[in-house]
Amino acid sequence: MEIKLLTEHYDKKEFRFIEGYKKLGGYETLKKAFSLKPEEIINEVKASGLRGRGGAGFPTGVKWSFLPQNGEKRYLLCNADEGEPGTFKDRLMMERAPHQLIEGMIISAYAINSPKSYIYVRGEYNYPIKVLEKALQEAYDAGYLGKNILGSGFDHDMDIYRGAGAYICGEETGMISSLEGKKGQPKLKPPFPAIKGYLGQPTIVNNVETLAAVKYIIRDGAEAYRKYGTEKSAGTKLFSVSGNVNKPGTYEVPLGYPLMDLINNECGGMKNGAKLKAVIPGGSSAPILTAEEVQKTTMDYECLAQMGSMLGSGAVIVMDDSNCMVDMLKVTLHFYHHESCGQCTPCREGTGWIHKIVSSIVNGEGRLQDIDLLEKIAQQMMGRTICALSDAAAMPTLGFITKFKDEFEFFVREGRSKVKEVRAHA
Amino acid sequence: MPKITLNGKSIEVADGITIIEAYKQLDEPIAHYCWHPGLTIAGVCRLCVVEIEGNPRLQIACNTVVQDGMVVNNNSEKVKTAVKWGLDFHLINHPLDCPICDQAGECELQNQYMEFGKYDPEMAEHKVKKRKVVDLGERIVLDTERCILCSRCVRFTNEVSKTNELGIFNRGDRSEVGTFEDKPLNNKYSVNTVDICPVGALTSKDFRFRQRVWYLKDKPSICTGCSTGCSVNVYYNEEGIFRLKPRFNKDVNGYWMCDEGRDIYKHINKENRMVRGRYKKDGAWCSTLPLETAKKAGEKLRTYSADQIAVLVTGQYTNEELDVFVNYAVNKLGTKNIFHWKNNPDGWNEFDGLLLRGDKNPNSKGLQKVLQKHTVGGEWKDLVNQIDKFKAVVVAGPENLQAYPDLKEKIGTLARLECVVWATADDNIAFEGLMDFTYLIPQKTSVEKSGHFTNYNGLEQKVDVVTTLLSDSLNLEETVELLVGESVDMSQREKEDMHVMKKNYFTTERGRL
Amino acid sequence: MFKLSDEGINFVKKELARYETKRSAIIPCLYRVQKENDGWVSPESVSYLSELMELPEAWINEVLNFYTMFNKKPVGKLHVQVCNNISCCMLGARELTDHLCKTFNVKPEEISEDGKITISKVECLGSCDTAPMMQINDDYHENLTPGSAEKIIKGMLNGN
Repeated sequence: MEIKLLTEHYDKKEFRFIEGYKKLGGYETLKKAFSLKPEEIINEVKASGLRGRGGAGFPTGVKWSFLPQNGEKRYLLCNADEGEPGTFKDRLMMERAPHQLIEGMIISAYAINSPKSYIYVRGEYNYPIKVLEKALQEAYDAGYLGKNILGSGFDHDMDIYRGAGAYICGEETGMISSLEGKKGQPKLKPPFPAIKGYLGQPTIVNNVETLAAVKYIIRDGAEAYRKYGTEKSAGTKLFSVSGNVNKPGTYEVPLGYPLMDLINNECGGMKNGAKLKAVIPGGSSAPILTAEEVQKTTMDYECLAQMGSMLGSGAVIVMDDSNCMVDMLKVTLHFYHHESCGQCTPCREGTGWIHKIVSSIVNGEGRLQDIDLLEKIAQQMMGRTICALSDAAAMPTLGFITKFKDEFEFFVREGRSKVKEVRAHA
Repeated sequence: MPKITLNGKSIEVADGITIIEAYKQLDEPIAHYCWHPGLTIAGVCRLCVVEIEGNPRLQIACNTVVQDGMVVNNNSEKVKTAVKWGLDFHLINHPLDCPICDQAGECELQNQYMEFGKYDPEMAEHKVKKRKVVDLGERIVLDTERCILCSRCVRFTNEVSKTNELGIFNRGDRSEVGTFEDKPLNNKYSVNTVDICPVGALTSKDFRFRQRVWYLKDKPSICTGCSTGCSVNVYYNEEGIFRLKPRFNKDVNGYWMCDEGRDIYKHINKENRMVRGRYKKDGAWCSTLPLETAKKAGEKLRTYSADQIAVLVTGQYTNEELDVFVNYAVNKLGTKNIFHWKNNPDGWNEFDGLLLRGDKNPNSKGLQKVLQKHTVGGEWKDLVNQIDKFKAVVVAGPENLQAYPDLKEKIGTLARLECVVWATADDNIAFEGLMDFTYLIPQKTSVEKSGHFTNYNGLEQKVDVVTTLLSDSLNLEETVELLVGESVDMSQREKEDMHVMKKNYFTTERGRL
Repeated sequence: MFKLSDEGINFVKKELARYETKRSAIIPCLYRVQKENDGWVSPESVSYLSELMELPEAWINEVLNFYTMFNKKPVGKLHVQVCNNISCCMLGARELTDHLCKTFNVKPEEISEDGKITISKVECLGSCDTAPMMQINDDYHENLTPGSAEKIIKGMLNGN
């Protein structure tokens, strides 16, 4: 069953504009927030068990409490650089509920005492940016942004920054580099952004969905939020479902929701009644699950970790048995090869190397030792770099080659796909 | 002071240093490319990985600060495997052109592979092709295919020279280092990028293909290009000097030196030197051994009275030489007419904020001190004002004539005197302008003698003999002895020469093995 | 010689003052240059921008070459970007791309002879539920078939 918290008013067009948003209870939570002390909000968010919805799943309240108590100017960055293949939930949120995000951000900024925030939106999201720009202007005009908001004495400015096409800017320090006008290359940690982030100032980076959820935690209280989900995975989560299902789309369900239910109930089952072959449960970086594993999977952080995969951004890619796994890995690796920022050697060279090897296999030029070699390279790409892109390329590689080894071996031996003809494309 | 254990060895280190610095302090081998002590930390080559007890993930030593009680190793199988693969990742797209690469012999890819390599290459795919032999202006050639993207050079131009010409363009394995549209990298410190390039991506136009590095020896010295007095290493063999590179000195130049300073070796090499002593008689030059010229000059000088003799001196000699020379002028020649010749009096105090100074002499401070001791010393203009009262001049001329652009003009003035005695290391066409009773006495250069230079800041720095290029040439002390009619024992010279010859011969032979 | 319009120059000045550091204005200003330079950023426009913004050319060039939305060579009036990532590929994005390239007689990433169209393969555009999809200039077109995509493009070409 869908639980519509963040997505409750998605279908109402008026929700996109300030009047309609206010009519539906918008900016009331902000008033409530101003009646609380910032620490109280942080504690409420901590108590809610909210974990970052961008992919890493780090507890949001804990992240906020890393900020140094030294009076330095703090920045809040909203990560709207949605780029994980399979993910489109944040785009919908910005298009359909921009004020919900803005309100969540003002509350969060108040909690962490930040006078300035940016929404960093991926450059391709031209339309969402337009919607957000309008909403931001409305919020300024209504006095929800700027000096002394609602007489609270709290000042806050918010701006939108448009990226220009780079997956890596979704990594929080890559985003900071990009916002600083540089290549979006992740920064060395330590120091972490909460200590030294944007321009060396303490910075909190949170995903769109996370910041919007803050609004509901403050509106209803941590306890109410915790009613949804499991103990370690509290609340609802937006899942972007795509692939061979009848009704792909964004669905908000409580964490811990069975994956098969998501596919069969919300998504209307497999397209054309085809047989389920595999699911990528958390964006293309998450190791693939076989149909058998899918049966046992619930969509929460701990179950997916136990399955050797991850919840990631909540992008569920459902595959039927017409898909060639060697080909799918090639497509996946093309992406990481293309998106590696080039900074750390194991990632820069490794992503290209494994992509080339899998391409060779697809071209019918594979060697038997290539499958072992892929595994060796992937192992050495993990945990070796500044950010997780290298791991994000290595993990699915290991997933594909271990779980569908027969398909890889068949391809190498026969020079063709076990599943279907894989055409060479222009 | 935190106490830590590295590879089983206990060591006490300064607070706040990183693990890689501790490894360096202990002189334990640790692989790395991007880390450079003079630059910010990039942490991108991922080779300096270490295992820290209690931490399941390998950490990079360059970005991890030591903590008391830390137990660290980089010799476990886990680390060794990571480093082996790390090196292979560097090499999969690196061209195998070592035989024609000028970096060979001092290439960190070669060196570190020897020590840490996997010795079992598994790359069977096509390598990424990138641009080669990119001309980056007056001094530098770039090979982007050899570049391992450590970003040292980019950080240098951003952080040290602050000229910002270099960048790494594109991303992933298509990344290429370079300047925008291949514009020249003509900043005043550009060749430092060549020094810090761990591979053959950036090479020096001046040095490349002139000598394989294994045919060279190096010895420490001081750059004589200006009054900063940067510490350098001089690379040489029996054919001469081939290059200068900066040597770390935290009090003077850090890790760097300027491009101009790198050129000083050129005036030191034989082709620019005054090889034989020369004197002019009846309008023609006669050539003799240096010591004969000096003796003859001394005889001629003794025909003048003290007030007829002027002395002109440059800050291009060691403190020891200047002490003897000025003492000679005051006490033997008996003159107080001693003048300090400066290369560029107007821009004398110029400083570019990093290393380069307008005073192009290594020892102006030392000279001033000696002159003050004897309460003598005028400027060039003082000499010109009273030139008519002099008949002879003794010049301790600049070793590096290139640094004295007004040489010809000065010679024109001095030619008005009856007798010119000039100690010089270099030869120059401008000397042709001198008349009869000119004595040109060949001098040793800074790499051929021992002594001290005092830099702009009053810091006294020692130089030792690096090599002998012209065994007959004299230092200023010997010149003075000969001028006063004493003898100098030259029998030692043979030995010194032989000594050097033997060493160089050995080096050459070793290289050929 | 490339020059921004007066309006463009004002935009650059405003962006330079908008953020905490001047450098942050590089991305927005490159967008502006691209808009005023027929959809791509030429080397001479980088030099121009460097002078206008008083920032090193290398910094601007690093940004230009890092982000895929800046075109380093001329593109067609219609810049068709077909998502070739996983969900779209599963539902025929590659066949769609092939079809479009054949129909409009142009190789991927290259500009057509008449300069009217460029077809590029791009990574995930965040519209996987409507796969396969493409972006033409600024707008998304979703739930495509080779036929429907062809029709959309033809309509736009004729409309031009």
